[in-house]
Amino acid sequence: MAGRTSGNRVTIEINDEPLRPGPSGERLEVIDYDGAHRRFYKPVDLDERAILIQNGLDPSESDPRFHQQMVYAVAMKTLENFDNALGRPLSMKRHGRKLRLFPHALHGANAFYDPEIHAVLFGYFRADRTNPGPNLPGGNIFTCLSHDIIVHEMTHAIVHRLRRHFLEPSNRDVIAFHEGFADIVALLQHFSFTELLRDEIQKTRSDIRLPNHLVQMARQFGFATGTGQELRSALDKDPDPKLYNTVIEPHRRGSIMVAAVFDAFFNIYLRRIRDLIRIATGGTGELPAGDLHPDLVRRIADEASSTAQTLLTMCIRAFDYLPPVDITFGDYLRALVTADYELFPEDKLRRRSAMIEGFRLRGIYPANINSLAEEALLWEVPEGIPALPVNDRKIINWIVRSTEKVSRQAGRARKTTTNRYEESPEDTLAEETMLSKDALFFALGAWADANAPKLHLDRTRPLQVAGVHTVYRVAPDGSLLIELVAQFAQQNRDKVESLGGLPMRGGTTVVASLDGTVRYVVAKPLPSPRISRDKQKEAARREEEQMAYVATLDGRDVQLPYMSTKDMLERMRLRMNFASLHGGF
Amino acid sequence: MKNGISVRMYDVGFGDCFLVTIPTSNGDRRILFDCGSVAKGRKDMDTVVDTLIRDVGGPDEARIDVVVCTHRHKDHVAGFSRKEWANVDVGEVWMPWTESDEPEAIRIREAQARLALSLDAHLQRQAALAATPADRERYESAREFTLNATGNETAMETLHEGFKGRTDILRRFLPEKDKDGKILDTLKTDLLPGVTIHVFGPSRDERAIRDMDPPAGKTYMQFAVSTEEGSNAPDPFSRDWWVRNHKTVSETDKVHIARFSDGFSTVVAGSLDSAVNGTSLMLLLQFRDKYLFFPGDSQWGTWNAAMENNKFYELMKRVQFYKVGHHGSHNATPIQFVEKTIRNQIVCMASTRSMKNWPHIPLTKLMDNLAKRGAVVRSDQPPARSDVFLVGDGIIDTFIPL
Repeated sequence: MAGRTSGNRVTIEINDEPLRPGPSGERLEVIDYDGAHRRFYKPVDLDERAILIQNGLDPSESDPRFHQQMVYAVAMKTLENFDNALGRPLSMKRHGRKLRLFPHALHGANAFYDPEIHAVLFGYFRADRTNPGPNLPGGNIFTCLSHDIIVHEMTHAIVHRLRRHFLEPSNRDVIAFHEGFADIVALLQHFSFTELLRDEIQKTRSDIRLPNHLVQMARQFGFATGTGQELRSALDKDPDPKLYNTVIEPHRRGSIMVAAVFDAFFNIYLRRIRDLIRIATGGTGELPAGDLHPDLVRRIADEASSTAQTLLTMCIRAFDYLPPVDITFGDYLRALVTADYELFPEDKLRRRSAMIEGFRLRGIYPANINSLAEEALLWEVPEGIPALPVNDRKIINWIVRSTEKVSRQAGRARKTTTNRYEESPEDTLAEETMLSKDALFFALGAWADANAPKLHLDRTRPLQVAGVHTVYRVAPDGSLLIELVAQFAQQNRDKVESLGGLPMRGGTTVVASLDGTVRYVVAKPLPSPRISRDKQKEAARREEEQMAYVATLDGRDVQLPYMSTKDMLERMRLRMNFASLHGGF
Repeated sequence: MKNGISVRMYDVGFGDCFLVTIPTSNGDRRILFDCGSVAKGRKDMDTVVDTLIRDVGGPDEARIDVVVCTHRHKDHVAGFSRKEWANVDVGEVWMPWTESDEPEAIRIREAQARLALSLDAHLQRQAALAATPADRERYESAREFTLNATGNETAMETLHEGFKGRTDILRRFLPEKDKDGKILDTLKTDLLPGVTIHVFGPSRDERAIRDMDPPAGKTYMQFAVSTEEGSNAPDPFSRDWWVRNHKTVSETDKVHIARFSDGFSTVVAGSLDSAVNGTSLMLLLQFRDKYLFFPGDSQWGTWNAAMENNKFYELMKRVQFYKVGHHGSHNATPIQFVEKTIRNQIVCMASTRSMKNWPHIPLTKLMDNLAKRGAVVRSDQPPARSDVFLVGDGIIDTFIPL
């Protein structure tokens, strides 16, 4: 399928699935309802012969069906990147409803994921008449025609699906992580298109780090809003470690993390093309003036796109190793390192060291560790915890069922579309809680309860099994790596009023091997006398930080004085709203 | 009468009006800080202006040495639209630099005015079309912001070219610059011998200016274009593509989605209000060892910049009198200022009244915390007498002995 990205054209290949007009597939559904005019636009039928024959519609701004096709294709591509990296197909259903994408939902320079109606809403608006940038003055701008915006918003929806508490601003990094991670996925997916890179590399003569429009996200969008420059640039000119301590605004703060990852990407890429350059230049490494040889350009572009694709996978895979609540950038670095270590114990491509360096240069240090050495960054390996109770018949059943699911998914990619995509077991389970009668949840709950202190959980508080799933990955030696990941969550509502309507949350992610042996414990403890002294300190610090963060936001919130009493008590909850976050107030 | 500085607060309702009298070596000198209101107090604005003019010498001999206009919001300037001011003798008028003829100042003023006008028209339209009574109320309540920022032309005319001496009166735009362009953070005038004015804000620093500039966010653009087309959605596709219905979207979801197309006008209205407050003067009056602090309606940006400035911060520690910022709202008086900066026995005056739509102005916790550090009086409290304050019928006095 063809898409348009500010003057560039790229064909996006996605897995085949039966589609109804919309396009409406098994997991995503494009609905072209325009809330500003209260009308629908004619949906595209991608299975229509005339469209099939030409590999999808050609780019056109005036044909809404092209917009619908583009949104569907880019969103599916994003979802597939997550499926592949996480080693399981993600169901996007919530309360039995697919994720809906509205390409022209609203009038406004805004696009966002709305968890309330489980939909991604894209806006359209007129380009500024006096300062339109590269756009036609007064012309229409469609946020749904930007690859990067679509990926960014899709990522928000997926992250919300994987960790729903990451929308709760419990420390300065949480929302910034949501934003930064969405940008990382958008950026790396953007770079994974060889066709796009070729032109760019020819223009910049292999230094794709020179300020050109590849690194500026959603440029068309940025110009159209009158700011006269790109929306968010992934690159700091000079990494400033002070920024991480001072910047609060989530997009700006998130871009610090984006820059760290981009640095890693760029350094790995440079390493990978060094030999190509040497071969091409007879060993001097100095490229001659004039155009580069097209073969060299193609090879460099391939390296860049494959670097982007591997890093994208690495960045997404880290997700299973994240704590269930209260994420910080430091946690993300640790998860990145641990997840990658599990699959590639030797850091042959020096991906991990490049990542660590990118974070270090920007002053991002995980709490509670005193070195940025790889071993120090790996998550805690617990001692003396009995294996997860996975010898239970029901659980084995469940594991087998979900394996079946994966193979069915793999089959589907080869166009055997007879099986209808069912709700993944993960989804059904995640919807349920401790209260469910489900045996697996009960067994896990009982296990966590029995081992609470070692999992840094408070046994006296209600414990929720927040999710459990299996992960299938193929290691470089060809062996199949199967892991079990379980999340446990707790909360303390005592200070909900002084925390602006949010509880304090705690929880633990447990990563285990197939036989139930616990490999990693990733904990965010709640204050409690029933956990170790170290963890008590950590919990106390988390609580202080959450309080301080509420106060910081209060001081800057121009709306606060005018809030109703009801809103005041809920103010942190009201602040976790992508609509206003992306509106750029 | 004892020797000292007196401060008189007029109960204007929701607004500010303070008269400071300083016993200088050349006799008593008067400084007026603002005269405006958006919701009347015990007396209406006409009565307040009459009382004020009587207090400064009576209709025929009224004299105010310095008139300070902290910022151009109705709740700070409305009173100046009265014609009686044409007869009042004024020495100097002080305004924030954003009132000057500098290109940057003109740009900011115009941006704010344009936004206020188109936003007001938009809110009016939205209120008329609102799907539910709650929505209508939301839009109408947001209009209080746009109305606060519009329709103040007559009052601003008085401040810019009115009073008895008209254009002969010296208008000063603070902070001033010297001939080399250096920003001056203190100010003296022969009219107020022995008085030093420390100008803490508004800052001319780019960061602070951004706060005054409403089109900082993307959505503002929708309203900043023009009144006629600004907030109407363009038609993205020709009629051929319109269809009645191709998928079921529930009515609830339709209403939910439709709401986003109003460009968050109510949120933008709040930001506009804050942007204008961001132009507010923040002045510290020093006379001998007495320090009186008038932050206007300054917001977090100005406060933060001032508290990061060591010299200003040291001065803040000496404050004996504090005009509570922005009618007692939370982000116009930082916690650090109350808990860590000011000394005990501070005298605070808050010009405010309870408003239905803004239950957190004044913020009870802030008022309580200030009361712990010293004495606080509210303009809307019943007549009373204490060691510090004399609360009369619409007039509240305090006296700072020298």
